[in-house]
Amino acid sequence: MVDVKSILMRVRADEKQSLSALRLICAGFTFAALVFALIAVALDDTFYLRLASEALILAGMAISVDLLLGITGLLSLGQALFFGLGAYSSALLLIHLTQNFWLVVVTVVAGAVPVSLIFGWIAIRSRGVYFALITFGYAQVISRIIYNTRSVGASDGIVGVPLISIPLPFFEIPINDPVAFFLFLLVVIVAIVLALWWLMDTPFGRVFPAMRVNEDRLPFIGYNVRAYMIAMYVLAAVIAALFGALYPMLRGFVSPELMFFEMSGNALIMVILGGVGTIIGPVLGAIILTIIKSIVGSFTEHHLIVIGGIFIALVLFFPKGLTGFLRLRVEALMRRRREEIQS
Amino acid sequence: MEQIIDYIQFVLASQMLNGLAIGAAVIMMALGLTIIFGLLDVINMAHGEFYAIGGFVLMALLGLGVNFWVCIALVPALLLPFGYAIERTLIQPIFHKGDRHILTLLLTFGLSIIFQDLLKIIFGPNPLRPENLLPGGSEIFGIFMPNYRLFLIVAGGAIVAAVWALIYKTNFGAMVRSAAFDKNMAGSLGVPVRLIYAGTFALGISLAGLSGVLLAPIYTVFPTMGHDFILMAFTVVIVGGLGSITGAVLAGILLTQIQAIASLYISPVWTEPLIFGIMVMVLVVKPQGLFGKFGHG
Repeated sequence: MVDVKSILMRVRADEKQSLSALRLICAGFTFAALVFALIAVALDDTFYLRLASEALILAGMAISVDLLLGITGLLSLGQALFFGLGAYSSALLLIHLTQNFWLVVVTVVAGAVPVSLIFGWIAIRSRGVYFALITFGYAQVISRIIYNTRSVGASDGIVGVPLISIPLPFFEIPINDPVAFFLFLLVVIVAIVLALWWLMDTPFGRVFPAMRVNEDRLPFIGYNVRAYMIAMYVLAAVIAALFGALYPMLRGFVSPELMFFEMSGNALIMVILGGVGTIIGPVLGAIILTIIKSIVGSFTEHHLIVIGGIFIALVLFFPKGLTGFLRLRVEALMRRRREEIQS
Repeated sequence: MEQIIDYIQFVLASQMLNGLAIGAAVIMMALGLTIIFGLLDVINMAHGEFYAIGGFVLMALLGLGVNFWVCIALVPALLLPFGYAIERTLIQPIFHKGDRHILTLLLTFGLSIIFQDLLKIIFGPNPLRPENLLPGGSEIFGIFMPNYRLFLIVAGGAIVAAVWALIYKTNFGAMVRSAAFDKNMAGSLGVPVRLIYAGTFALGISLAGLSGVLLAPIYTVFPTMGHDFILMAFTVVIVGGLGSITGAVLAGILLTQIQAIASLYISPVWTEPLIFGIMVMVLVVKPQGLFGKFGHG
């Protein structure tokens, strides 16, 4: 007789190990980021800190794409829509209404929920490529409307977003201090990654692996698959909008390009580069893509060929991305350590 | 009364004829997309770039002194081996993996980035425009139409007829339809399935290239020229049903007519959201589009 319980125990142990490998990768990333910040402070650098801050903001959008692609199995080609909407509402709020950081963030997030609920409800009626193309269309159409609307700056976008500070319980973070803002973004990213890992281990999160294995069987044991998908779509949109809201604070402007397909495509490249379905992977992907762009970009403006080539090679040969590669190494290392301890 | 007739004759009818010319262009793009999806289940994100490549190959050939009318046949013929090679080397290896929908979509997305940049490097970012060989216009039913647009409508009709005949009336088409219906069964009955797959992909690519050639004299040629059409082409294919030839043609005519007529009354900026809204409504009612895939009943 097959001992189901022992199989389940083994699967669970494998998962635990895999997750702790990911945690180790996350810790390594945080450490590297802190070292980078330290070096930047020592060298009195602003440029690279700003670049890294932007990479972290884009990493937030990549996480949102990964939640859909890697966790839920839905390919969104228009996640930049929510990023852009977040950025625009944040810029407009900051200029016209309030300069309270938390009020802006809460309003943007609260606004993203109903919008993504409606969009998600429609898009998730169709699956697979239809979903991909509908999300593509959402972003295209809305970016084109904004591109042609005078009152939100049309093709010029909105400039002159005021610099604010972020009030925290014991101190304040002035946004124009590059180190402080970078560290703030780092904390936000790591907190979101950890929170999402936690979420994936709750009863809510455990539905998604089951959905990927057998979507047709879930309804029989009482799960409404579409409701879970829509919930994840809303969560992904909220995360994209949140990081979108941070964008004008860093750069001081927004433009319709933020919603263009190039942005959604970039986020997708980050996810594939870093590793689908790992949540920390897209963050690494965002960092690597930014590094590649600035290195290749210093030789030639045609960096897209290099990125496209790397991307195709990844899709063909390493569909698990960098994290998949690292994870195997770390897991092997951990297994060897454990065996050494045992023997 | 006379005013109404005048309105219909000079405003509405000419707008509809113009819409038909755009419709012909959109349908040509949509046909390639739908054929590739119908057989291979591949969403070709690089379709717009293949369209641009068609336009640029035309410019290169014109530069070498080749006649425009010869190019109409030559460019699609040159793109056939290109499309064939891409299918065999890049799409075939990932075709049999689990999520081929997503993988192939990502792959063609990567291709589109590379092509865009390559075209920019080779030809520069500025728009080029070949000489229009059918200048001037003529009157039909009292409506004045530029000659080239009339030619576009006729050419579009001819291409649709040719593709339809190729898929439904030839041996090759029978093999394509059988492979789309059940590739294992078709394979065991002696249909060279891999060859058919690559051939169909090549056919779709050369159709995109052909639209690039035909549209070059009125829309100019530049590296991102595909972007303007690709959303409309996707919309048409989704409304018509991914993988349906009839659907692509009917939805293509319908949507471009709606767009043409609507732009008389609302600002052109809003016609695109209108079309997209129609697509969303179609999907809410019929998530798989209006018509089914070819090869399926």
